[in-house]
Amino acid sequence: MVDALAIKGKRKKTTSVRLEVKPIELPDAPPIDTKYFTIYLANPLNSGESTTLEVLYVFTHFLEPFPAEIAQSESQLVFYNDTALILSPYHIKQQTTFIKTPSTKVESFIRMEPTNRVGTEIKYGPYEDRPPYSISPIHVHFENNSPFAVVEELVQEIEISHWGNIQVTEHYKLVHAGARHKGVFSRVDYQSRQSSNGASSFRYLLARLPPRVHSVYYRDEIGNISSSHLRTDSLKNGRRFIALCVLNARCFDYSVANVVSSFMIMHLHLNAAFAIIPVEAKSELEIEPRYPLFGGWKATFVIGYGLPLQDFLFESSDDKRYLNFTFGCPLIGMVVDKLTIKVVLPEGSTDPSPVVPFPVEHHLEAKYSSLDVVGRTVVVLEKKNFVPMHNSHFQVYYTFKPIFMLAEPLMLASAFFMFFVACVAYIHIDLSI
Amino acid sequence: MFKVAVTLVVSVGLAVCCAVIAVLIALVASSPTKGWSGRSLSLLDPTYASKYIPIIASVSEHQPPTWPSYFMDINVLAFLVPAGIIACFLPLSDASSFVVLYIATSVYFSGVMVRLMLVLAPAACITSGIALSQAFDVFTGSIKFQLTGASSNTEVDAAETSSSTAESQTDAVKTEKPEETAKNRPSRKSKKKEREHGEKPSTKAKAEKKRLLALPLESSVISLLLLVLLGAFYVVHCVWAAAEAYSAPSIVLTSRSHDGLHVFDDFREAYAWLRHNTDVDDKVASWWDYGYQTTAMANRTVIVDNNTWNNTHIATVGTAMSSPERAAWEIFHSLDVKYVLVVFGGLVGYPSDDINKFLWMVRIGGGVFPHIKEPDYLRDGQYRIDSQATPTMLNCLMYKLSYYRFVETDGKGFDRVRQTEIGKKYFKLTHFEEVR
Repeated sequence: MVDALAIKGKRKKTTSVRLEVKPIELPDAPPIDTKYFTIYLANPLNSGESTTLEVLYVFTHFLEPFPAEIAQSESQLVFYNDTALILSPYHIKQQTTFIKTPSTKVESFIRMEPTNRVGTEIKYGPYEDRPPYSISPIHVHFENNSPFAVVEELVQEIEISHWGNIQVTEHYKLVHAGARHKGVFSRVDYQSRQSSNGASSFRYLLARLPPRVHSVYYRDEIGNISSSHLRTDSLKNGRRFIALCVLNARCFDYSVANVVSSFMIMHLHLNAAFAIIPVEAKSELEIEPRYPLFGGWKATFVIGYGLPLQDFLFESSDDKRYLNFTFGCPLIGMVVDKLTIKVVLPEGSTDPSPVVPFPVEHHLEAKYSSLDVVGRTVVVLEKKNFVPMHNSHFQVYYTFKPIFMLAEPLMLASAFFMFFVACVAYIHIDLSI
Repeated sequence: MFKVAVTLVVSVGLAVCCAVIAVLIALVASSPTKGWSGRSLSLLDPTYASKYIPIIASVSEHQPPTWPSYFMDINVLAFLVPAGIIACFLPLSDASSFVVLYIATSVYFSGVMVRLMLVLAPAACITSGIALSQAFDVFTGSIKFQLTGASSNTEVDAAETSSSTAESQTDAVKTEKPEETAKNRPSRKSKKKEREHGEKPSTKAKAEKKRLLALPLESSVISLLLLVLLGAFYVVHCVWAAAEAYSAPSIVLTSRSHDGLHVFDDFREAYAWLRHNTDVDDKVASWWDYGYQTTAMANRTVIVDNNTWNNTHIATVGTAMSSPERAAWEIFHSLDVKYVLVVFGGLVGYPSDDINKFLWMVRIGGGVFPHIKEPDYLRDGQYRIDSQATPTMLNCLMYKLSYYRFVETDGKGFDRVRQTEIGKKYFKLTHFEEVR
């Protein structure tokens, strides 16, 4: 249930360089089931030298709500299980762990001396001279009222039409994965005293869509959902900054001055990691499910919109076209358990090949849509356990001869032509004996 | 040989027919209402339903219509219909007498039940069409008459106009029987020719009469224009009625407030919640108005729905809604109900909520279960929910479910639909709990 994605950065003074990370298999692993990743350093490290590394881990479904069921007026408490020493195949000279909680309400935490708690930060350490693969389990029981919105399944269908439009349809299954709601739901309490009621429930979801989006619809199986707002920003004064809040994630970075002999500092952030990212103008869709979601409640809906083709389809150097799209869920800060992206290429495309920066499963399908003779090729990409860190661009390359654009109009024109010719022939033919 | 076969087949067929007719007569004679169902009996005796079958009386489409609803539905035709009836008598033929009978019976039946306004509509259209075309004839004939002017021409024209008006009269009356028109036209034409040959002096007299009956030119032109305007306004009204009055979806309610259109999507919110957050086998009990909606949108089994065929079952639900909590819980438990759906409009002012329909729940329940007596819920002949309400009313399930913790919304419990404060403000639910 743990799937780690690591992005490494190397800090020398203030510059950071991305290092390559690859998962590897170690046949002689210790009895706990662990995954191994190799970090390739930029320059080989000689004996006596030191480098600093910063490692980012994101885990999903890691916080366990305890108690598992809460009533409307209670706030949500979760367990965080971890080890005070990081699991490392190397000898640890010195280590300090900082755990940052979102609020000062901490029910309990296991002490492993030396342990200190200041405000929202708990400090474990410094621990000296530990052998490799040593673990010391700790847990922290704290209050966490941020909404645990999890998209169970997201199917995103991107249909490319060379007549100038890309139509995107997304099917969501949303669930509140926090402590289950038990007992009475009182509408009066919910609407009047919101600070103390339903603190862990959520009502609004924000989706970020590309600019110049049109024909946005938001509906479910029953019909259109009328509670949504669309704001399209225009690029006013240069760049805008949007804070990306990471939910359900645990990230820590540690700096290693020397792998063999120096001190290490580990920073552990919990549910409070903010990354300020400069972004271009975007459209924002604020959607509200039909009812506020409490623990264990589900909702499903469909969001669809159209995009102009020239923003996303480009021509590559070897005469192939490619679609440059963002891999991911437009809903900000969502964990997606199973993400499926289907790219429907226009009829007559050949040689589809996706290029995605991280490993995904992919296969091809065929889809028969309007005015299709041979069917359209569909490139299906599947990813499990998707977090917003994965939000990067991916490309799908394909070849398309421009003559195929004429296929549909010619088909329609010839159909009507045949029909009219048949009518004319029928009128003028004399079939009497 | 052939004849024997023919007689055999014919006699066997006759015997089978007689047997079937005998069975039918036996069936009809054995039922207490001689084969008439409750709804059709209430057409003959409008008080039948309210005395014996309250569920038929409770449907609002079965009530007698009010005068304004006539004007809303057929508008201008309301005063063109009598003119058309008179025009039908002007020559009384088979076709025109059919139209008169049709309009008379449909007016009677639409006066008994509002939904039979549908039956009145074609008859009203036909008769008012007759009246309008007669009026057009008179005006256009006068215009033609005035414009031609010379006397000999007027004689011929008068003869022509008289026969043409006679013909157009027959045409207007016989809109439904074109074959008969074709048949009659040659006969009328031959009659006209005979008239022309033999009755020239009488046509002269007729022409004289016609000249006196013709209207002045200006007034006929203006009247023509006004008639056209009348038709145009009628079309505008019909389009508006179809768009506003008959196309409003009853599930999504809108209201205009100072900051734009406010949409109340509460029905769909409840149905979506039921669809996603309850088990597939859970049963929902509500009043029958919401049965089909719940089945379609929430995808759950309901106890009673809009197909109000099982009167006893609906009476069971009505009894449960009118009983105190413990008795209601037992009824719902025996029906294996998990969720009870109640519509309450007192907070926003939505008038068709379950408290307003409550009187029918009492009547229908009381019709089958005699321990529900309507006078228990009435104070001075009225259903009240304020401090003057009867204790049975204040204890019944519908009151409790609707007003549970209502007083906490504004401190006083003011019901916007009934425009009073509620009677019992602070109470607890012992057998039910609020889940949505």
